[in-house]
Amino acid sequence: MDPRTFERIAREAPFDDAGHGFDVFGFHPPALASAVSAAAPLYERYFRVDSVGAERIPATGPAILVANHAGVLPVDAAVLCLDVLRRTEPPRVPRAIADHFVPHLPFVGTWFARLGVVSGTRANVSHLLERGELVALWPEGVAGVAKRFRDRYRLAAWRVGFAELAIRHRAPVLPVAVLGAEESWPLARKLDRVRIFGAPYWPIPVVPLPLPAHYHLRYGTVLQLGRSAADADDPHAVAEAAETVRAALQQLVDDSRLARRGVFR
Amino acid sequence: MKVMVIGATTPLGAAIVDHLLARRDTDLVLAVGRERESHEPARDRLVYRAADLTHARAVHDLVWSAAREHAIDVVVHVAQHRDTRAVGSSIRAQNVTAATELVRACREHRTIRRLVYRSFADVYAVRSDTAELVNEDAPLDFDPHAPAWLRNRVEADLAVCSQRGGPLAIAVLRCAEIFAADSGSSLWNALSARVCLRPLGFDPMVNLLSIADAASAFGAALASDATGVFNIPGADTLPLSRTFEESVRVAIPVPRAAIPRARRLRAPALLDGSRARRELGYAPHTAIAWPMPWWRQLLDQLGAMR
Repeated sequence: MDPRTFERIAREAPFDDAGHGFDVFGFHPPALASAVSAAAPLYERYFRVDSVGAERIPATGPAILVANHAGVLPVDAAVLCLDVLRRTEPPRVPRAIADHFVPHLPFVGTWFARLGVVSGTRANVSHLLERGELVALWPEGVAGVAKRFRDRYRLAAWRVGFAELAIRHRAPVLPVAVLGAEESWPLARKLDRVRIFGAPYWPIPVVPLPLPAHYHLRYGTVLQLGRSAADADDPHAVAEAAETVRAALQQLVDDSRLARRGVFR
Repeated sequence: MKVMVIGATTPLGAAIVDHLLARRDTDLVLAVGRERESHEPARDRLVYRAADLTHARAVHDLVWSAAREHAIDVVVHVAQHRDTRAVGSSIRAQNVTAATELVRACREHRTIRRLVYRSFADVYAVRSDTAELVNEDAPLDFDPHAPAWLRNRVEADLAVCSQRGGPLAIAVLRCAEIFAADSGSSLWNALSARVCLRPLGFDPMVNLLSIADAASAFGAALASDATGVFNIPGADTLPLSRTFEESVRVAIPVPRAAIPRARRLRAPALLDGSRARRELGYAPHTAIAWPMPWWRQLLDQLGAMR
C-alpha cells in the first residue's frame, strides 16, 4: 500500500478529537491507518476487491451506508470499510456500527473501538450523525452472519432504527451490495448454548479460514428518506422508509449476482 | 443572590465558593463544612458554619436556623463523602439521609427557591467496558450487588429527583468523574492504591471533569432558572490505560474475574452534555492538571536552582 495512504488516514482523515488523540468512542486514527496498511494485501490480492460506485459516497455531512451481512465473522464489514477509506478523497472514516455484545469481547472490543467501530445504541449513532460522520451499518445484524448457506444473498429480518435516525438527521442513505462474503466463509453450525462474553452463539465455520472469494462491492443510488424530520416520529413512515432501503439493497444484490462471472473469478 | 454551599470545604465546594464570591450578583455565601472552623481567610460576603451532616437534626437546624437567619434563597449541596472506600451507617447518613432531609426542608422553607444538587455519572446503568454516550433519560443502576457508595449515590439521586415539580426549583447535576483528591472519585482512589489493577483485555474510555469546570457548571446552574437533570461532562476523554500513564502510575492487567469485586474499576458512563450546553450554557474547557513525573519535577527544580 502506498505509504501516503497511511499518512492520509492517520493525519488527514476528519476526526473529532475529544482530547489525547482519541474520539469519545475510542477511535484512534493511527491505529486505523496501521490496520489499513496491514490489510492491504488481503484487500488487493487475497479478496481482489472490485468496487463500483464509491464516488457516490457524500464527501461531507452525515450519511449512512447500509449493506448486506454474511460470513462467520464480519470480514465483509472490514472489506467495506477498507474500500471506503481507500476510495474517498479526502478519506472518509466509516464508523461501523456493531452489535451490543461486540464491545464486551476482551481485546477485540478495544481494538475495534480504536478502528472506529461504535456500539449500536441510538444515542451513539445519533451523536455520530449530528457530528456529520459517515456511518456504516448492517440492519440484518447477527441474523445476517448466522444465516444458512441456502439462504445466501436473501436479506434476513431487517431492523428499522437506522431509518428513523436517517430521517431525523436528514442523512442520505446509500445501499451497498457486498458479494463474496457468503461463499468466502460459510457457516456450518451455530452453537446456541455456548454464549461467551454475551455473544448470541458460537459459530462453527465450514472452513477454518475465509476462502479467497472475489469480493464485489456495488454502491447503489443515494436515497433520501422521509419528507421531513417530523416523519421520524411516525412509525409507519419509518417502517416504509426501512422497507424502501431493503428493497433497493435486495435489488442491488440480485443485479450484482447476475452480473458477476463467478465466485472466485 | 444569597447562597448556602453545603460541603464548602471539599475541593469542589471551595471552588464554588470562590466562583460565587467573584460574581457581583452574590450578596452572601453561607459556607457549610464539617470542620469546626474554616481554614479560609475571612472574606467579605462570606460566612462559615460547621455542621455534621451525619445527623439529620444538623441538616434540619441548618435550614431552619442558619439559612433562615441569612435569608438564603439558593442552596448548593456538594457534601457527599469524599472517599468511595469508606463504608458504614454514618457514610450512608451523610450521602443519602442528609440529601433527603435537605430537599424536604428546602421545600417547606419560605426563602429558599432553588436547590442545585451534585450527583454522579456513576448512577447510570452501563457496562463499564462500553463506550456508550448516555443522556439524562438513561436508566439508573439498581444492581443490588453494586458497592455501597454506588447504591448510596443512586438512592440519593432518586430521592432528590423525586421531589421535583413543586415550588422549589431543583437542578441535579450529574457530574463526570471529578479527577481530584477528596472528590468522591473511585478512579482517583483506585489510582491512589499501592497496586493498581486493571481488567485484562479491556481499555474503556473515561471522561474526566476538572474542579474548575465543575465549579463553572454549578455557576451556570445558579445563574439559570432551568430545572431538571443535567449531565456535566469534562474536557478530557481518554482510554483508561492513558489515564494511568498520565497519572504516572503503572497498572497490572489482570483477568477481570481475578480482581476482587471491591477493587474492580468502574468506568462511569460517557455523558452526553448537550442538555447542559443548551439550557445552562455549560461547555467544558479546562483540562485535568496531571501530576508531573518525578524526573520532570527534578529537572524543574534543577532549572530553578540555576
